[in-house]
This record gives sequence, structure tokens and C-alpha cells, in this order.
Amino acid sequence: MTTNAQALEMLSPRERLLEQAGSILQRGAIANAIVAGVALLLGLIAGLRIIPFSLLQNVLLIRYGGAADSALAIVILMALLDLSLLLVVMVGVLAREIWALPALLLLTLVNIAGLIGLGFTPALVTIIFAGWALIALRADTQAFRVNPVMMKELRGRMRGVRAFAVMTVYLGLMSGFTTLLYLVYSSFTRSSGSAAAGEIGRVLFLGVVGIELLLIVFIAPAFTAGAITGERERQTYDLLQTTLLATPSFVTGKLESALGYILLLLLSGIPLESIAFLFGGVSELELLLSFIILLVTAIALGTVGIYFSAAMPRTLMASVRAYSVILGAMFVVPVVLSAILNIVNDLLFSKLGGASPLLETIVRYLDLLLTSVNPIAAGLSAQDLLINQRVLGFWAYTLHSNGSTIPLVSPWVTFTIIYLTISAVLIVLTIRSTRQTSVE
Amino acid sequence: MADLIIETKDLVKKFGKTTAVNGLSLEVPAGSIYGFVGPNGAGKTTTMRMLTTLTRPTSGQAWIAGHSVTTEPRAVRRAIGYMPDEFGVYDDMRVWEYLDFFAACYDIPESERRRLIEDLLELVDLTHRRDDMVDKLSRGMKQRLSLARTLAHDPSVLILDEPASGLDPRARVEIRELLVELSRMGKTIFFSTHILADVSEICTHIGIVEAGQMIAQGSMEAMRAQLQPHREITVTVRDQESVAAVKEAVAGAPDVVGVSELEPKSGRYRVRIDFSGDDNGVADLNARITRANIAILGFAEETKDLEAMFMRVTKGIVS
Repeated sequence: MTTNAQALEMLSPRERLLEQAGSILQRGAIANAIVAGVALLLGLIAGLRIIPFSLLQNVLLIRYGGAADSALAIVILMALLDLSLLLVVMVGVLAREIWALPALLLLTLVNIAGLIGLGFTPALVTIIFAGWALIALRADTQAFRVNPVMMKELRGRMRGVRAFAVMTVYLGLMSGFTTLLYLVYSSFTRSSGSAAAGEIGRVLFLGVVGIELLLIVFIAPAFTAGAITGERERQTYDLLQTTLLATPSFVTGKLESALGYILLLLLSGIPLESIAFLFGGVSELELLLSFIILLVTAIALGTVGIYFSAAMPRTLMASVRAYSVILGAMFVVPVVLSAILNIVNDLLFSKLGGASPLLETIVRYLDLLLTSVNPIAAGLSAQDLLINQRVLGFWAYTLHSNGSTIPLVSPWVTFTIIYLTISAVLIVLTIRSTRQTSVE
Repeated sequence: MADLIIETKDLVKKFGKTTAVNGLSLEVPAGSIYGFVGPNGAGKTTTMRMLTTLTRPTSGQAWIAGHSVTTEPRAVRRAIGYMPDEFGVYDDMRVWEYLDFFAACYDIPESERRRLIEDLLELVDLTHRRDDMVDKLSRGMKQRLSLARTLAHDPSVLILDEPASGLDPRARVEIRELLVELSRMGKTIFFSTHILADVSEICTHIGIVEAGQMIAQGSMEAMRAQLQPHREITVTVRDQESVAAVKEAVAGAPDVVGVSELEPKSGRYRVRIDFSGDDNGVADLNARITRANIAILGFAEETKDLEAMFMRVTKGIVS
């Protein structure tokens, strides 16, 4: 089905409406990208002292009480967040997901709140596009329904003893690991003499979250890499294609069913993580952060799997590609990049004895970006910021070179934005390549 | 010609250098049961995949219910129910869930699905297996379930690829009866097969395809008439002299196209008469031979079956 053929085809009124709403939301996402880009450009200009930051703050984020330069950083990140959320909702609308309308409404309301509460004027962009799509979709709220593919997959996955057995084994292993960790750590602290209860709690918490993350890295792509190739291999794909099931519904349904099960595993692990509360040293906020990071990681890795499932003819090839990319992005790239960054850091700050503020700023931001592409790094450094500096969102970093401050954000925020955007883009690409390969 | 519900014009499909379908033109009238017959590898499945929008034609055009398969695939999908030759097995699914899933794929609201599923199961006689797992069904039952699935959105055309292949005789008859029943409900049925008995039993129309081309198509009566221009009458006699006598007796009769001697079979001699006249002419022939006072063991008209027809049309093109 080429886009040309599609353009020629008489779509039913419902299909046309959904396409229309989807393209409105897509335009909204592009507009937000432009806003973020322009804000970044203005920030650079302001950094060169051509225009004052306070002017930008008065236009873009009127009611914010903090520093003017961090206001600009907030504007950029919020625009990017809107961008990724609009893309996610767009996929939901195209797939006729039942959650799409409430999500769209919520996004509009949150942006209205941002506009009123913070004076975040770029919210108008999202409000206009999301509101426009809402008004368009009001004509046919019946179009939204429980995804049949998700329903079918979950029925299959949850049937019989298998799902129950997998969960039992999973929780059993996790409990065993936690106990082991506790025994090892408590005996270690007993021998060394210092036994802070908070320390044990934190170690247990990190251990459980670490295992869960590892699990997601291996399970999420495994669940999705066979999603589309599997249908081809079982020769059920032809059947689906001759029905009126739209490609976005198919792709999202597959993704949702995989993520639904992972979500269940994550939720069932929360009581285990909460054992840390008995020892203290871990706050509810950390638990929430870890959950967000795990969930976002699962979504992103699941989409990587499904992307290769659409692009490759066989499950094996799709799995190999997905794991190579994920392991590369998760473990190899961060190690290489941080090694390079370390060398640069060394050169700048010790060997050359004090670098220019501009260079130090760039290195700081690069550092943030690098931390944000890896869930482990993002999680650990967000936790570190939370515990040592009581920072959850934005904070001011004092440059060593001249003592002035630059705005920084806790890496989990940038991590979430980057991963959600990558996921949304990958889903759009998957839908496109599924459509292309479906007709040879 | 009556209303055509499936029509193709010079349909061509090439895979690389091999040509699977080579200028095929199909005409399927609305309401017919159309048997699409041809040897393996003749391009039947490829044609069906083009009709069901699964494969794009290299060139040529095809319409189903007035919609082009290349420019209006969604409209075509709304009009057809397709059953591929492989049953798509979803393990871990119950019979009703299988139908429920496909009904949902066709956008049938949940409130209507329950009744629809009951009706479909009753139609294909699987009501008692409603809660069984799909992969526990016999092949015949799976095929019937598959047929029920194609009916979920009440399509006007059913495109079935080898619906009876691999079935035991009983299941085959059941499927055949089901197809006749569906035809009575007003569906057009277009199915491929290489079991000619099925075709002669239920089809109103037939198309014979070979090497990607349509060799002959039309209604069954027209095809029979076209492929069988002469009646063939075999006269069995006791000895060689009688053969000569029979030849002589019928030589002058009207409408006799040819007379030939067949190989003797179990000591009996046979003469074949190619005859283009009507029933009165046959009676007249019989009378002539009797008048000539020849000892006759048998006088019979051979009815050519579809298989012989098929062999005659397809012969020569294969080699």
C-alpha cells in the first residue's frame, strides 16, 4: 500500500477523521520541535550577551520565580516533553486506542495548567493542536475501542499455568537474590564494624532495581521481536491483512500486550523493593523514580524489538538485530563515550589548568546528555542528586572556572524525554515499514 | 454477460524473472460458484493473492464489486472474505475467541459480536465446540471454522484457496454442502481446486488456468458444449466381420462425423462413432445397425467427465 494508492482511495468517514486528527497532532509535535529549537537558539544568543535572559523569561515563562537562564532550560525541556507526548498520543489516535482520547484531554489540561500556573506561553502551541484534534475527534468517539490484537495476545499469554508459573519463578528468584544480598551485605558490615541500616536498605533497593532493569533489557525485545515476524511465520499475517485491521492498531496492540505483561512483572516487584523501607535510607520518591525509569526503558526497548520485527523477514534475524542494537546502546556506547569524556575532562581541568567557562559548560551539557541515554547512568545520577543535593528537577550548577552558575536538570527528565521520543518515532517507522513490506 | 463481481484484465505478476501470472482475464458473475481449476504452479494462488490485495499486480487491472484492488484496497477488503490454503493457527485460542478476534478486526462492535459468533458457529455446525481450543479441532473442523471467519463481516464474495485440500471424504462433502448453502444465501464463491469432482458437483462456472493464462472459462453448460462438440457412441460386437458390417451400416447415416475401430477389449470388438446429431439421430443409428442384422453386445453413449475435458484442454500446453 503506497501512500499514493492510499491518497487515491475512498476512505470511510471514520478512517478519514482519524487520519486528519493524526496529522493535526503530528503538526503539533513539529511545532513543538520548532519552539524548542528556537528557544535553544535564543538561549545561545542570550549566552553571548546579545539579548538578556530576563527578556526571554518574561516572554516564555512569565510566572517562574527562579533564575532566568534555568527558566529557558525549563521551556526547552517542556516543549520537548510536549513533542514526545503528542507523538505518543498521535500513535494512540491512529491505532484507535481507548486511552487516546483521555490522554489527549489530559495533555491539553496539563498544558492549560502550565500556561496559567507558570505562564508557560509555548503551551499555547500544544493547547491549540491538541484542542483542534479533540474537536475533530468529538464527531466520532465510538471509533475508540479496546485493541483487538492486544486482547487476543493477552488472552493467549495469560491462559493456563504458564503466566502464573513465570511470575512465581520470577518473584522466587528475586526474593532469593534479595535475601542473598542481605546476608552477604550484613555479614560484610558486621565484620567491618559499621552497620548503618540505611545503607543496607539502599543496597537492597539498588540490587532489586538493577536486576529488574537487566530483566527488562532481555525480556522486552524478546517479547516484541517475534511480534510481526511470528505472524508471518505462522502464516496468519495474510489473514490479518485482508481484514480491516489498520496497521497502527496491529503494531500498537502487539506492543501493548508485551508491555502489559512487563508492567505486571514490575508491579509485582514493588513489594520486594519496598523491603528497603524497613531499613530506611530509601524514600518513596526514589521508588517512583525507579519505576518511571524502568517503565520508560521497557517501552523503548519493546519498540526497538518491534521495529526490527517489522523490518526483518525472520524472528531470529529480528532478535539478533534488536539485541545487538540494545546491548550496544546500553553498554558499549556509554562506556566508550564516557571514556572519551573523561579524557577530555582531564585535559581541560587538570593538564591545561582551568578551562574557559564556555568549554566547561559544553562538557557539562554533554555529560548530561550522555547520562541521559543510559537508564543505569540516568537512574544512579538522579538518585545521587536526590540524596546529596535534594534535587528532583532543575538545579543550578556552579562552574569551577569562573564561579557563575548554569541550569542543569536531573538526568531522569532528559532520559524520559529522549526515550519516549525515540519510542514514538520508532513506532511511526514500524508502521511505515509494515505497510511497505506487506505488499511485495 | 451478467453482472461481474470479480473481473480482471490482462493481469500479470512477475517475481524476478519468472512470470507467475501472464495476462490473465477473469470474469466471475455475481452469485455464481466459480471453480478456478489448474495444475499446481499454474498461478492460481498468485491470482488470488492479487485479488485479495496481498500482492500488487506487475501490470493489468482487477476489480472486485467495482473496486480496483490496486487503488481501493480497503473497499475490496470490505467486500471479500478470504481463506488461504494454509489454516492460520493461533495456538492458545478458543473457537469463540478466534471468531471474536476477527470480528473485532472487522470493526464489529462488541455488543453485536456475541450473537454473530453464535450464528456463525451454528451455520458451520461447530456450536458444540465453542469453548474448545482451536488447535484441538480436526482439519475439517478447522476448515469450517476458517470459513465462518471469512463470513464475519458479511462479505459479498468469498475467495477460497483450496478449501477442500487435505480433507477426508466426509469433511470434503461437508465443506461442499456448506458452499452450496452459502451460495443460496447470495454469496459469490470463487474457489481454486484441483479436485475436479468438486467442480462438476457444485460449480455453476469454471475457469481453467495453465501457465498463468486462462485457457477456457464460462458456465458449466457452455463449457461442456464447447469442449465436447461430438457425442461418442461405442458399439460392441463379437467379431471382426461385425466391425466391418457396423462401419458399413452407419457410413451413410446423417450427422456421422467419423467412425473408427477401437482396440479389442477382453475378446470383444468395439467401434466408436463420432456423432453430432440429436437423440432421434441416435435412435436412428441404433435402428440402422439392428436392420443390418449384426449381433450387437452393446450400444452406449460415452458421457465425457470433467477430467477428460480438463485433460483435453490442458494437453499440449504443458510440454
